[in-house]
Amino acid sequence: MLEQALQKHFGYTSFRTGQKEVIEQLLAGRDVIALLPTGMGKSMCYQLPAYLLDGPVLIVSPLLSLMQDQVDQLKQFGEKRVVALNSFLTAEQKRYALHFLHQYRFIFASPEMLMQPQVKERLRAIRLGLIVADEAHCISQWGFDFRPDYLRLGEIIPKHNKPPILALSATATQTVLQDIERYLHMQSPFYFLHSVNRPNIHLAKRFFQQKDDKINWILEHVQTTDGPGIIYTQSRSKTETLSMALLERGIAAAAYHAGKEAEDRQFIQQQFLVGKLEWIVATNAFGMGVHKGDIRQVIHEFMPANIANYMQEIGRAGRDGQPAVATLLYADGDEQFSQFIVTEDLPKMQHIEHYLANGDHPMRMLDAGEISETAFRVLHYWMQQESSEAVQKRLQQMEMDKYKAVHEMLQIVQATDCMRERLVNYFGQQLAEKTPNCCQNCGLVFEEILSAKQTVEEPEKILTWQERLQRILLSSLR
Amino acid sequence: MIFQQILLDIFLKLNNERTVSSAYHLLRGKRSGQTIQDVGIFSLHAYFSLLPKLTRQKFDGFVQLFAENGYLQMDDAGYYSLTSRGIEQARKGVPCTFDSWHYRGNEHIFYERLSLIVQALSHQSANIKAFIPIQRDEGIQYFARQFLLRHQYQSGALQVLLLQEITNSLEALAVTEEQRELLINRLTGVDLPGFTWQQLAYQAGRAEMDSQLLYISALHNWLGHIEHYPYLADIAQQLRISMPLTDSAYQTAKLFQQGLSLQQIASKRNLKQSTVEDHLVELAMNDITFPIEHFVNQEELVQVNKAVLSYATKKLKVLREALPHLSYFQLRLALARGGN
Ligand SMILES: [Zn+2]
Repeated sequence: MLEQALQKHFGYTSFRTGQKEVIEQLLAGRDVIALLPTGMGKSMCYQLPAYLLDGPVLIVSPLLSLMQDQVDQLKQFGEKRVVALNSFLTAEQKRYALHFLHQYRFIFASPEMLMQPQVKERLRAIRLGLIVADEAHCISQWGFDFRPDYLRLGEIIPKHNKPPILALSATATQTVLQDIERYLHMQSPFYFLHSVNRPNIHLAKRFFQQKDDKINWILEHVQTTDGPGIIYTQSRSKTETLSMALLERGIAAAAYHAGKEAEDRQFIQQQFLVGKLEWIVATNAFGMGVHKGDIRQVIHEFMPANIANYMQEIGRAGRDGQPAVATLLYADGDEQFSQFIVTEDLPKMQHIEHYLANGDHPMRMLDAGEISETAFRVLHYWMQQESSEAVQKRLQQMEMDKYKAVHEMLQIVQATDCMRERLVNYFGQQLAEKTPNCCQNCGLVFEEILSAKQTVEEPEKILTWQERLQRILLSSLR
Repeated sequence: MIFQQILLDIFLKLNNERTVSSAYHLLRGKRSGQTIQDVGIFSLHAYFSLLPKLTRQKFDGFVQLFAENGYLQMDDAGYYSLTSRGIEQARKGVPCTFDSWHYRGNEHIFYERLSLIVQALSHQSANIKAFIPIQRDEGIQYFARQFLLRHQYQSGALQVLLLQEITNSLEALAVTEEQRELLINRLTGVDLPGFTWQQLAYQAGRAEMDSQLLYISALHNWLGHIEHYPYLADIAQQLRISMPLTDSAYQTAKLFQQGLSLQQIASKRNLKQSTVEDHLVELAMNDITFPIEHFVNQEELVQVNKAVLSYATKKLKVLREALPHLSYFQLRLALARGGN
């Protein structure tokens, strides 16, 4: 029955892990929290119900690129009734979209967009078939200190005739799952939790005395082992310098971060996808929405801010099921810098004083450049919710939480027992079986997993601009 | 560096008579009366709105560098003066030409349209129906769709025709081979993704910004010689700015054309007379057929030009002192006409 619908609308003959269970519950009207690995067809959990339920499906999405990616995907299936409400719409486009909102099958929106009064009002007038929080761990991870509008998602959920709510994530701890349940006003949701363990990803780590040693190790390593791979690092400028160093050694590498032009970001993804780039040197902006199955390596030049990020980032390797290696590099004192970075964008105590001093015009702080936009957004939200004493406590708590998350990550780095087991336990799950070449601590032989660098192929013939143009336009004549 | 030469050229043309910031506003294309008048007074049409996204930080970084290299000196009020070293460096010139005044960033719209059309045609050639569009802007997508429909892309001939037009027009263009390559390497097609700025700059041994400037220069040149290529001209439609005015100045211009006097326009539009004067100066700058004779006669024009030469300045204060019988308004009109 459901299989027939799947075949009819998407051309697939069978469901992948978890999809059917989740969809059945949703169709029965029950709220669902689904923890499914990225690249395993999470989106199908709401895509198919959209054809079986009455009323549009609203998908709240954290990132513009992710939203766009899903819109494109649906359009490729021939679906035209898709709209993405985001800040790039002109006033006219937005008016049009809102006017015909009830006629769409899929409505994608950022939380900030949903909080705009006219959007909220329009949504209230529509009977939605399903509400989806995509990458729902963002509610917890980002909501408290980064994008408070996530915490207000409950405001758009109707009190009467509530449609089912679906929270989707690839990585979420128990605490995060509780936050999701609470902030989305879920009522005894059905849980589908796929194992967070990825047995084909082998977990390596390397220690160094000096920070520069990490770079030298990477330069050596990528010249002797095969990609394709991603190198994660913490700053934009570092992605640039490291990718330059790789280029100078004849390695097809590119820098990727949120400061790059939209076209450049697409070129990099496309080149990576078709195999013209071997290594991407990226900030954590790279990854969501990248569908490349054969990524063999992920290297963390710098420790991630928390375990959830680490899991998401290494999870981009080996989606084809073939062996892959995730290597975590650590130099003495990295965690101190990490602590600095994670709290950089939090509002500080003195900001509360300035906020109060500005009376009815707190925005002046922003104009005066006293505070970053992110920090102001957070401060402003909480100052409207509670007393300044409570906000002060809360900020201290946020800072503590961030430090704690860094510390938890550091423990994974410093652990002498099985890294995999620790990671899986962190997400409240148990490790079912042992993996050969499991992790650095259990014993890991690189050579058994990674193939040595292939002898460099003849570089592709460089096309003249006339030839290149001809190949692009007349590709059928190749 | 190309950008460095552009900035020095601007400072040279501004003749130490403006603040450093005015160069920034010029490059960003600030639509204020002062910036627009500066374009006319100092003949800076090439650079107005050349880099609408230039950050202040980046700009200040270059100015700082100039100061360190002894190219210029800054004063507390934000004014600068070029040193002889700076002037010498500036005179080495800019290796490529721009026509920013007439495009103001619209050259990018042209390229966005073109790249999406080319990408679509590439996929059609390869018989691939669905693809992720390289341009996300819905306006651009709409334009590309309409263009393809208008020219019956389904017949399969458009690829060849466009290929010929692009090849022929670029070969005839007075730009370097590097610039032609830049234009084509930013296109994307089936299995041939475009190259990033990092890649293109690395290949050429340049800074990213310089590769981008060479690309913009090539686009301006291309757009200026496109009218005999019907498909490309269609893609470039409505992008050249022929009457570039602020909105308010445009309203004034309409009334002036209807024959209203300066005072009449001021009272009708409920504006100060000085504001209307600003508009008329802007108008004179943009339109060489503007009848400034209404306000300054031929003899006075010659006097102004002589004074500019003999005092080597375009400072209104100095000129006013030298020619006390002329009003500031008359002087500004005369300057707006400049060498024209
Ligand atoms: Zn282990």
